[in-house]
Amino acid sequence: MFDVLPDRLPWWIGGPILGLLIVGMFVVSNQPLGASGAYVQTAGLLRRRSDVAVWRVWYFVGMFLGGVIVTQVLRSGAEFRSGYDALREVLPLWAAVPVVFGGATLLGYGAALAGGCTSGHGMCGTAQRSPASVAVTVTFMATAIATTLVLRLVTGGAL
Amino acid sequence: MKMNAIGLLFGIAFGGVLAASNLHEYDTIHFMLRLDEFDVFWFMGSAIAVSLPLLWLLERRGVATPLGGELVLSRSRPERHHLRGGALFGVGWAIAGTCPAPALVMVSSGAVLGLVAIPGIFLGLRLHERRQSGPHVGDGEHRSLTGSGV
Repeated sequence: MFDVLPDRLPWWIGGPILGLLIVGMFVVSNQPLGASGAYVQTAGLLRRRSDVAVWRVWYFVGMFLGGVIVTQVLRSGAEFRSGYDALREVLPLWAAVPVVFGGATLLGYGAALAGGCTSGHGMCGTAQRSPASVAVTVTFMATAIATTLVLRLVTGGAL
Repeated sequence: MKMNAIGLLFGIAFGGVLAASNLHEYDTIHFMLRLDEFDVFWFMGSAIAVSLPLLWLLERRGVATPLGGELVLSRSRPERHHLRGGALFGVGWAIAGTCPAPALVMVSSGAVLGLVAIPGIFLGLRLHERRQSGPHVGDGEHRSLTGSGV
């Protein structure tokens, strides 16, 4: 709407702000800012479980709203599009849907098995100096880079 | 109640930073994992470089948090499920080009395929939940998360 933000905030501004958010959350509530935990609690609420940490559902909603504020209000406002530009140059929409869905299912399963994702283990766990989180982070970085290489080879360098 | 407001505020800030850094774009993640762009590595590295020493210092001081008692960091030893889960997560992350928080922002930004990624993540979490008993959390550390307060 207002177009006041640059197209991409440089990492040396965004990264330290995120670091301060992680510290701030611990200082206020002694809790890590893990996103897959927010999914688990939101799913629990939808299934009407009684032991839901409701604040994590608010956290889930907040992440979406934060995206709306930046992409729709502070930037010029984005129109509907499929997203996945580089993937869509290789795959038509009908083929991209099962690929994205399958990949997302796999990462959800992996996050549950590992007990956290990029935010929970990668950022908050590593910042807590947890050996398990460091192990998870090194592992997913390695398999993600290897998988990307395989995708690149399979598509003849197109992806 | 206070905790819900804190959750919402930190969610907005977190989602906002991810969006401003374009981490919700498939291309950003894909080019990083292709090792063509290192911005995301620096982004994550600088976030840790800021938070790790501060948390260390605050933990040593035994800071009392207003909503969660004394600040206690969690540290656990790597087990097999960490490595297996991390390995699967990495493969899925590379294919889907997104992870749980950026997928939400992807939808905020109008990218419709985000609406495919989010149900996939829910399904993956659920498939694992159905295979094992007992609580599992997904915040990197095995912290008790039940109850509506902290």
